[in-house]
Amino acid sequence: MKTRFLIVIMCALSLAGWVGCSKKTDSEGDNDSSEARIAYVTNGVDPFWDLCAAGVRIAEKEFGIGCEVHMPTKGVVDQKRIMEGLLAKGIEGIAVSPVDAENQTPFLNEVAENSKLITQDADAPKSKRLVYIGTNNYKAGRALGKLVKEALPEGGEVIIFVGRLEQLNARQRRQGVIDELLDKPEQELSSVKFDAVDAKNLTAEGSKYTILDTRTDNFDKAKAKSNAEDAITKYENVKCMVGLFAYNPPACIDAIKEANKAGEIKVCGFDEQDALLQAIKDGNAHGTISQQPWEYGYESVKMLKNILDGKQPETSFHEVPFLVVTKDNIDEFWAKKKEMAELGKQD
Amino acid sequence: MNKNTLGIFGLLVAIFAITALLNDKFISAYNMQNLIKWSSLYAVMSIGVAFVIITGGIDLSIGSVVGLVAVVLAYQLKVKGIDPGQAIITTMCMSLLIGLIHGLLITKAKIQPFVVTLCGLLIYRSLGRWLTDNQSLGPVPLEDDKGYANIDTINSLDQIFSGKIAITDSFNLPTPALFLLALGIAAALFLNRTIWGRYLFALGNNEDGARYSGINTDNMKIIAYVICSFMAGIAGILFAFELDSVQPAQTGEFYELYAIAAAVLGGCSLRGGVGSILGVVIAAAVIRLIYNSINMLGISTHLEFGILGIVILLGVMADEFLKRYSAQRAAAKQKES
Repeated sequence: MKTRFLIVIMCALSLAGWVGCSKKTDSEGDNDSSEARIAYVTNGVDPFWDLCAAGVRIAEKEFGIGCEVHMPTKGVVDQKRIMEGLLAKGIEGIAVSPVDAENQTPFLNEVAENSKLITQDADAPKSKRLVYIGTNNYKAGRALGKLVKEALPEGGEVIIFVGRLEQLNARQRRQGVIDELLDKPEQELSSVKFDAVDAKNLTAEGSKYTILDTRTDNFDKAKAKSNAEDAITKYENVKCMVGLFAYNPPACIDAIKEANKAGEIKVCGFDEQDALLQAIKDGNAHGTISQQPWEYGYESVKMLKNILDGKQPETSFHEVPFLVVTKDNIDEFWAKKKEMAELGKQD
Repeated sequence: MNKNTLGIFGLLVAIFAITALLNDKFISAYNMQNLIKWSSLYAVMSIGVAFVIITGGIDLSIGSVVGLVAVVLAYQLKVKGIDPGQAIITTMCMSLLIGLIHGLLITKAKIQPFVVTLCGLLIYRSLGRWLTDNQSLGPVPLEDDKGYANIDTINSLDQIFSGKIAITDSFNLPTPALFLLALGIAAALFLNRTIWGRYLFALGNNEDGARYSGINTDNMKIIAYVICSFMAGIAGILFAFELDSVQPAQTGEFYELYAIAAAVLGGCSLRGGVGSILGVVIAAAVIRLIYNSINMLGISTHLEFGILGIVILLGVMADEFLKRYSAQRAAAKQKES
């Protein structure tokens, strides 16, 4: 009986192995950690971070400095463990995207005392980090609002979809879109005033636009799609869907296509998922705002190298420019993204 | 229909009626078609877990199996360019195999179901991420993918798994509903009309008793886990084609909880021995209906989980209360006579 059980398990494992082993196993990138002086720590595992890693690889070569890339899989705890390990190894500089900036502040201060610490992608403003490298999400939101205006020159009803609004970057993006559409004056990033998260039918005198609602999905793609479908049902006159997280615009595009409303409802988005880029190319989406993730990696390495060479940053916020992608520059942008995705793939 | 199923059906009708009264667009053909589609997708998973719960076990790996199946399918179709029919068969076999491994570990190696399937949850999720370098990918290949050569076959598969059949001018029946219908009927027949179904209930009620009366309880348990993973596998294929994009880290995450919630709301007892397929299917529809109603009524999406939790809790409480009440009445009647 026991042997039979063992045989079954062996068969199962070998089959599972066969599925896995059909994948390539060579490692192309040179992640030579033996001479790494600095480290790049993400807040999780995501294709977005692979694009960032590509920027790290380019900067490594350009500035002649080794950089380890770490992607913690299990949130705060894992991130802390990784950074403690790096400190123990005597790493000279760390660029991190803190998972929970507020509560990690004491730990980040400890890191800052033992190494050169900068934040990227997400900031920890209360910590002793030297500089924050990131996108001005409010400005990016306003740029997205301008895309909506281009898509709907006559005005109309707009609805916003986002993963969750608990995150500061999501709130800033959303407010940028709202302020731009309602022609409100530009706000300072550090002191943006937010409309209530469940505010409905936002409009302003003289504006041709109404922001119907903001629906969240907690990072569930199926939920994102059903939210878009429900919006099509509920709002007959919705003219444009705005997706603030990478997977939102593709979900909207799918829902619109299936409801046979392609062209009737426009889509404007954020980030650079292939489905969105394809839709921009095909004319099913108007445009997107890319944070150019590779710039995060590149700028982080460049900044740490400068700091180690004794050049202190001049301001506490180093803005990474975002890129507006529409039909006009889609081919060029997509080629660049493909190149970066290839370069940044984990080895 | 037993009392429990009738109760959950009443809940479905009540929420349906309230939403329809408050928003006239709710009953539009387009919305009904969406509601049927999502209910079917989640109900397929829930039917699977109902089998396991009836035997008194639990399967926490459903979401990860959905994710892994979707990933492996998309990987084969898009990146590897494998023959689509073969790819579907491979993924189905993979889900059967996963169920078999669970069953064997639980019955032969005597590891608790919670532990086995919890480890499964972790393993399948990371396998999917490792296989694809955590890149999101869709089952339908784009022009410069290797799988583009099979695009015609894949498009017809897309039609089978996430297509629509025109019923009237405005109403199209989503094909996942047909999958649910076929699988649901098969599951209900298996559970209620075959001897193995009786065995499953007997096993869930009293495992030792069932074994002493000559039932091969190990085999029955293995069958339950195989059915559960197989259903999760079918759901994985349906989800992959429905969403056209699979994210290895997120697709299917936490779906086991929806499935378990539907099974419990549908009348399965986590102690085992009780359950009905129709009840589970209706309960899965209630959960999707709640989500749809929240959107249609414009209630803040932040309240969703809260509302869902309260409805499930009230549903289960009402069920428990009714059971006790009818038991008391039966006891009183017996006393009188």
